Amino acid sequence: MSEPHTVGIGQMAVCHAPEQIVCLGLGSCVAIILYDPVARIGGVAHVLLPKSPIKCDSEGKYADTGTRKLVKEMLNHGAKKERLVAKLVGGAQMFPNLNLSIANIGRENSVTIRNILREFLIRIVAEDLGGNRGRSAYFDTSDGHVTIRAAFEPVKVL
Amino acid sequence: MTDEKSGKVLEVIKEFANIGAGSAATALSSLMDVELMNEVTSCSILPMSKVSDWLGGAEQIVAGTYTYLCGELKSGILVVLPRKSAVTLLEHLTKEKVDLASLTEIQKSALKEIGNICLCWYLIAVSKMIDIDMIPAPPDATVDMLGAVLDIPLASLAQKVDTVLAVHTCFKGIDEEFEGYFLMLPEESTLKLILERMAGPRG
Repeated sequence: MSEPHTVGIGQMAVCHAPEQIVCLGLGSCVAIILYDPVARIGGVAHVLLPKSPIKCDSEGKYADTGTRKLVKEMLNHGAKKERLVAKLVGGAQMFPNLNLSIANIGRENSVTIRNILREFLIRIVAEDLGGNRGRSAYFDTSDGHVTIRAAFEPVKVL
Repeated sequence: MTDEKSGKVLEVIKEFANIGAGSAATALSSLMDVELMNEVTSCSILPMSKVSDWLGGAEQIVAGTYTYLCGELKSGILVVLPRKSAVTLLEHLTKEKVDLASLTEIQKSALKEIGNICLCWYLIAVSKMIDIDMIPAPPDATVDMLGAVLDIPLASLAQKVDTVLAVHTCFKGIDEEFEGYFLMLPEESTLKLILERMAGPRG
């Protein structure tokens, strides 16, 4: 198997089984993970902020445009919209005591993504969101499983 | 920015950060009772997705204390301690065994306070130099993966830009094994102001 694709902040990747896609150290960022279990195509977007400005040249950075672009990319790669399922990871509140408007941006990210996925009628089959721990997500496109590692916590599989 | 110009900008910012970190390291030295040495500052203009790689990888566990400036200057500032150094520091201050996985309230608060002291000394030194008052918000601290610690600092810049200027100054214990670094992420307008002021009195 080849090296896993690492998706950094504002980036996305779509690939076929048996490749792996990973997002490392998600804090308030959210990894949107889409999977077509029949075509075995998987895609991940690593978004940082909830809403894009009207004029925006980096769609992948925002939850709204990032989710839309990821769905489009999945369809371009041959996935079928009716078969797509979603898993969401991240959206934590890393500094709960900060008096900053973006201190709980993780929650806003999650809410925005849920709304957009509802527009597309894509079902969220599993999620590990919120709290105040960072997470890493390892997505295996051969079976759709997402392994989650967090600091000081046991490994979880979605 | 042309290469030549950005080279100059980086030089000026390095000087700025060296002075801030020097002052903070002195404060930390007396707190810790060890001699600390500042290593050279490095700075780089990076896309958001590359910042954690530049600092050594998103998954490493660190203790991070973050604050942001809320006056005329806008910048995020972080003090980051690798796992081992955070334990050394906390054990020294609290005189008890420390487990980063389950910090007590008092240990968390100590961590925050150390960050606070460092950040304030950093700011005092640099604000004297450029003669602008800097007002930090009360900081918050966490022990987690570096990538996760960086999310909020990056998010506060991301609305406007895709690339950031990251300024990194590390400090090391001379005898004891102890290290950490400061990370400054200034907004563009702030960067401009700093450059103007730094150029000013020198002609």
